[in-house]
Amino acid sequence: MNRDEALKIVRELVESALNGKVNATDEMPLIGGASALDSMKLVEVCLALEDIADERGFEFDWTSEAAMSKSRSMFRTVATLAEEFAQQSQVSA
Amino acid sequence: MIVVTGASRGLGNAICHRLAAKGERIVGLARSIEGLAFDAVACDVGEFASVKSAARQVKGFGEEVTALINAAGIASMNLAVMTDAATVERLIQTNLMGTIYCCQQFAPLMMRKKNGAIINFSTVAVALALKGESVYAASKAGVEAFSRSFAREMADFNVRVNCIAPGPIRTDLLRGISDAQIEKITAQQVIPKAFQAGDVCDLVELLLDARADSLSGQILHVGGV
Repeated sequence: MNRDEALKIVRELVESALNGKVNATDEMPLIGGASALDSMKLVEVCLALEDIADERGFEFDWTSEAAMSKSRSMFRTVATLAEEFAQQSQVSA
Repeated sequence: MIVVTGASRGLGNAICHRLAAKGERIVGLARSIEGLAFDAVACDVGEFASVKSAARQVKGFGEEVTALINAAGIASMNLAVMTDAATVERLIQTNLMGTIYCCQQFAPLMMRKKNGAIINFSTVAVALALKGESVYAASKAGVEAFSRSFAREMADFNVRVNCIAPGPIRTDLLRGISDAQIEKITAQQVIPKAFQAGDVCDLVELLLDARADSLSGQILHVGGV
């Protein structure tokens, strides 16, 4: 999976989690005070990404140290989450 | 499918047998799984990587996980000043960290389906502040605090989290504890009698039952305190 495809998936999931009321941009933060998603919605996005990964035959690990680390968290923005998702798809392939 | 930790011995093993006898599909987690009469996955709950690997294997079974029972635990009855650092770390690592790791790794399997129940295990030693059990009680007090907050985090996903706090139950965990010591503890319960593993299994069944859907974030003391 390339980055653009991953971005499309993550954007759609984030917008769906926000009931289609917000357009998800690449730089939209997913954690912290500026995030439009609450933590539970973010978990839902992760579970959905895990399902998509399963369907495509790779494992999406969103509970790793890299995921949790504040400074380099994959959840910093829509783009960083998509990059991580794409990267994990390539590692598992 | 119901996942039970500490499945090879004590309460965990009794719970596995009780639920299996009721026709439930059980997957037991234990460090040693040889000879178990139900499906089992080797796992040291105190090791994050081991728990993560076990969760991956359970997920690989492709069946819906409806409950997680965190029965794995160790005890060391001694004065805190007489307890060596390695034992302190082992108690905290297995009892508290093990429960947290398992909840972290197995809860998502239930959150996805918006259905599930988690049962963690504490002890009457927390509520009664039992002398000679301070480190053990501290590890279990952490489990209680974690369970109450975690229950709120899981509520949006329709996953209930409760905690059973038994008094002294005659299992491997209490080897070396005299009958007199057990009587002294049970005398402090609301119902001053020695309950058995079967009584705890009854409570597990109750918490897994759909009729317990209104219960979450609760600490249930066997015998009452």
